[in-house]
Amino acid sequence: MKLWTPILLSGLVVPLYAQGFSLHGFVEVASGLRVVEDSTQPKDLVLGEGRVQLELYQEWEGGPRLFLKTDFLGDVADEAVKVDLREGYVDYSPLPNLDLRVGRQIITWGTGDFLFINDVFPKDYISFFIGRQPQYLKLASDALKASLFVGAVSVDLVAIPFFTADTVLTGERLSFYDGLTNQIVGKDASIVLTKPARTPANTEWALRLLRQFGSYEVALYGFKGFFHSPLGVRDSPRRELFYPELAVYGGSVRGPVLEGIAYLELGYYDSLEDRAGGNPFVENSSMKYLVGYERQAWSDFTLGLQYFVEQMLHFDRFTTSQPPGAPSRDEFRHLLTLRLTQLLRYQTVELSLFVFFSPSDQDYYLRPTVAYKITDQLTGVLGANLFGGAKQSTAFGQLEANDNVYLRLTYGF
Amino acid sequence: MRTRNTNGLGLLWLFALLSLAIPSAEGAEKIGAEEVMKRAYLAEYYPGDDMKAKVLMRLVSGDGKERIREMTMLRKDLQEGGEQRYFIYFHRPPDVREMTFMVWKYPRRNADRWLFIPALKLVRRIAADDKRSSFVGSDFSYEDISGRGVEEDVHQLVREERLDGREVYVVESRPREARGTEFSRKLSWIDKTTFLPLKEEYYDTRGDLYKVFSADELKEIQGFWTITRRTMKNVQTGHRTEATFQEVRYNLKLSDTLFTERYLRAPPAEAVR
Repeated sequence: MKLWTPILLSGLVVPLYAQGFSLHGFVEVASGLRVVEDSTQPKDLVLGEGRVQLELYQEWEGGPRLFLKTDFLGDVADEAVKVDLREGYVDYSPLPNLDLRVGRQIITWGTGDFLFINDVFPKDYISFFIGRQPQYLKLASDALKASLFVGAVSVDLVAIPFFTADTVLTGERLSFYDGLTNQIVGKDASIVLTKPARTPANTEWALRLLRQFGSYEVALYGFKGFFHSPLGVRDSPRRELFYPELAVYGGSVRGPVLEGIAYLELGYYDSLEDRAGGNPFVENSSMKYLVGYERQAWSDFTLGLQYFVEQMLHFDRFTTSQPPGAPSRDEFRHLLTLRLTQLLRYQTVELSLFVFFSPSDQDYYLRPTVAYKITDQLTGVLGANLFGGAKQSTAFGQLEANDNVYLRLTYGF
Repeated sequence: MRTRNTNGLGLLWLFALLSLAIPSAEGAEKIGAEEVMKRAYLAEYYPGDDMKAKVLMRLVSGDGKERIREMTMLRKDLQEGGEQRYFIYFHRPPDVREMTFMVWKYPRRNADRWLFIPALKLVRRIAADDKRSSFVGSDFSYEDISGRGVEEDVHQLVREERLDGREVYVVESRPREARGTEFSRKLSWIDKTTFLPLKEEYYDTRGDLYKVFSADELKEIQGFWTITRRTMKNVQTGHRTEATFQEVRYNLKLSDTLFTERYLRAPPAEAVR
């Protein structure tokens, strides 16, 4: 994958500045430091990088369009230079009502704000926790997407033959709770992640049907593939985790309510390798519920609230199957989020706070940021990621020793 | 399609003739303030069945610092004076580049708004307050861009005069619903020929002048009088926004389907270049 980026780019230098060509991007320096003691991590630098992103766009007579987005990264924290093809796809419409997109592409569905039920596509949680731009939370899938427009209904069908996993906590930069040993681990975690075999039968499929009824958007979703996080234990002594098979069925509604926007989303996560729920090595099936509301309380100030519930199904079988000493999990995990955004000085300054709070897990995650548009091209962002919790085994509680503060300076062109 | 201003002109002549023949009754020979504002609303926000324009906005702060917003704007009227669809594609500055913004505007109710963020491939639904939100950090509010319903204010014809050599109606408008409105009073200088506002003065809730709108250049494009250069100045902060409408075209027969999520996510080249 890393080799064909320079080849593709050099091949396209030929039509440079020809009709239908554009090149944009940004240059960014970012630095983030841990502000609490973490005995499992030798380095306090959680983020240290110089990044150049290039976005190349080329369209041809007759319709096909090429889009390439590549990052060239000098990573001080990992002491490495990396080339990352973020997206690389071709768009083509063979029929007036059919759009095809082939290649590496980010796909985003669903209604949640930093909460995902029917958006089953891969995520990069590490980037999210260390202060990279929000776009890095989403990872691209190597896929073929067909969008068909039939009257007022749009149908999106995605085939993903090459599995892309979530970027999850494995101890390199951030410490986390290791369920295999019931303790916080970091750099010496040595987790082995085993991805599904690359066979045609392991192609993942995702479907969305979307229709608008007046001002209300209604969608139905389906997914058949694998968990993108390694929620299965293959070999505990070898510390090997795997990605169990998963099907997701869900729906959502979004539209205006009073002076704001309200949305509702549901999803049934069918854990295909443990439908009965008694296998302690595979995540149980669950139901996920989300209700959210966002409105502008006063000029340039937006407020968003969400209430999210994850219900583990076959909970009784789960509890009896757990080995002694395993951390307790609730049948219902409740999560509240709050987003506050205030724009100032002709929208050149943005003060923002996003809060995750779980009353059932008794943990939290705060994301305060201050962004200043120094000029039209140059933006500075100062932010923090603050974690805490009563127990070290919960989603945010485990990250307690990873509190960090970061600064990003981005020049766009 | 017959332009609104020629209809208005015809009616004016008829009124003038009638006023000579018939003894004047109170208000009968004059065009009412509400009628003036209705025609102004149509002349400014509804010329043609659809429109495409390149809009360049210069935001200049009191101390001379400048920011640029460049976008392509598409508009389609579903109903003359009623429902409209807007599609705005941003070219500059870099942090909003390629974002697309879609509005479904309804008379007498909040508009539906969507924003597509290309870096995340995310379609966000925007909850915004028409009346007060600044459009992309400029001195124009969303309401200034897509129009404020005539029935939302009480209008009174103050006087008729000449402004820069043109005959105008001076109309005072006060919002019916004081709560949540930016201004307590607005004075509009409406051109008698084109019914376009040449100047507007906005007074805040304390009664102080705070925003001044001026139409700096008018051009007749495909038979429709268009304000091609306009300025909104905040006299209290000294900040002003100059908006230039370039490459304005009407009646392109834009399809309804252009204003849907499909094209929000992947705008066709012809629509945005």
